[in-house]
Amino acid sequence: MSLVAEAFVSQIAAAEPWPENATLYQQLKGEQILLSDNAASLAVQAFLQMCNLPIKVVCRANAEYMSPSGKVPFIHVGNQVVSELGPIVQFVKAKGHSLSDGLDEVQKAEMKAYMELVNNMLLTAELYLQWCDEATVGEITHARYGSPYPWPLNHILAYQKQWEIKRKMKAIGWGKKTLDQVLEDVDQCCQALSQRLGTQPYFFNKQPTELDALVFGHLYTILTTQLTNDELSEKVKNYSNLLAFCRRIEQHYFEDRGKGRLS
Amino acid sequence: MAAPLELSCWGGGWGLPSVHSESLVVMAYAKFSGAPLKVNVIDNTWRGSRGDVPILTTEDNVVSQPAKILNFLRKQKYNADYELSAKQGADTLAYIALLEEKLLPAVLHTFWVESDNYFTVTKPWFASQIPFPLSLILPGRMSRGALNRILLTRGQPPLYHLREVEAQIYRDAKECLNLLSNRLGTSQFFFGNTPSTLDAYVFGFLAPLYKVRFPKIQLQEHLKQLSNLCRFCDDILSSYFRISLGDG
Repeated sequence: MSLVAEAFVSQIAAAEPWPENATLYQQLKGEQILLSDNAASLAVQAFLQMCNLPIKVVCRANAEYMSPSGKVPFIHVGNQVVSELGPIVQFVKAKGHSLSDGLDEVQKAEMKAYMELVNNMLLTAELYLQWCDEATVGEITHARYGSPYPWPLNHILAYQKQWEIKRKMKAIGWGKKTLDQVLEDVDQCCQALSQRLGTQPYFFNKQPTELDALVFGHLYTILTTQLTNDELSEKVKNYSNLLAFCRRIEQHYFEDRGKGRLS
Repeated sequence: MAAPLELSCWGGGWGLPSVHSESLVVMAYAKFSGAPLKVNVIDNTWRGSRGDVPILTTEDNVVSQPAKILNFLRKQKYNADYELSAKQGADTLAYIALLEEKLLPAVLHTFWVESDNYFTVTKPWFASQIPFPLSLILPGRMSRGALNRILLTRGQPPLYHLREVEAQIYRDAKECLNLLSNRLGTSQFFFGNTPSTLDAYVFGFLAPLYKVRFPKIQLQEHLKQLSNLCRFCDDILSSYFRISLGDG
């Protein structure tokens, strides 16, 4: 979106309060959604819960194509559609809700840096595992990604997506990495997150921010998704404060609010 | 260590020991950690490879890519992060990720994709460092690689169009520069008084942007307004690279 269009949308966004019927769209939970998309969706849900904004989750098979940027999840609020955590945070801020207002400039810089770390390492590792590791691709990804569509569309779409992701991996230098190197990167990332979190309840002490939502989304999904092997979740399980962090957010923002356990 | 460490990288100009960001990161880290590096500048003889530069060669190892080279140096006990706490180490990783995601696309664009800059500055300079006829092919390939990287990581499917992405990447880069400036504040280096890995990375990315003379300079203008970042680059150049500058 050009700068002018974005400013215009912000103006419109600021004008209306958050409606009751805001919806979040993602792919089908049981059969279709993949690890990385599930993580992104959960991060947005956690963020909105932390802001105390009601949201209804709707699952559609073609959510990826409905989204304005091609990425899930996206939210439909009033008559606007916004996708991905970054723009959603901006949008919510324009409506007057923000989790990071209390931070000073240095802390905001740190928060943005850590969010990029999660995107750079964790998300890329998840994508690598899903689309470039032959075992996972064959057993899980292809079947899940194409499941709502009839043959041969399911195969074509899955191969197309795989080709796209592989191109991206090659461009950023991950094309030649082995699975072990990727897992080592995940370990490094978790170690950094664990060291930053320390013994605090949230990354910026008492109040959660969008960084907490993002980290929760990814870590919880890694811990609870069944893959061909458990190596990825084992890496996260090595860090007990990260496990406690996930449990704390799950309890506080999902169970207590009567949403029931996250499946 | 006894074995000589040789680094092959792109040469310098405009007052910098190297014009290539990744080579500069490695050179800065070596200076900070005291690693004795013999620098082999790629020139237009046919000696040496021009592939995945920078490349570190020792007697039995060949290591490419800055992150791996830095890891290797650390294992050889050349560690510039010795005095950092665990949290500072974690912050280093996070800020490096920020640099790669937010600043690198715009730096690549300024050097390799923006036509005025590429044809008047970057291409002639790199072509002069490479023997003919490779000089006709390699800069073009590097430029296409840069464009590819920008579009694949930032372009929104299904429209992989550059113009839509340009405004966004420059905005992100300016925000990133502001964040770095806020974080640096008035200190000499990012973590106290001794330089560390993060300083090497920031220097490597910022110095070429700061010093190379381009026709289209919007990002450079923005950087020049952040005086503490300019002071940071100048300090490192004068303290750590004075001697090699003297050799020309």
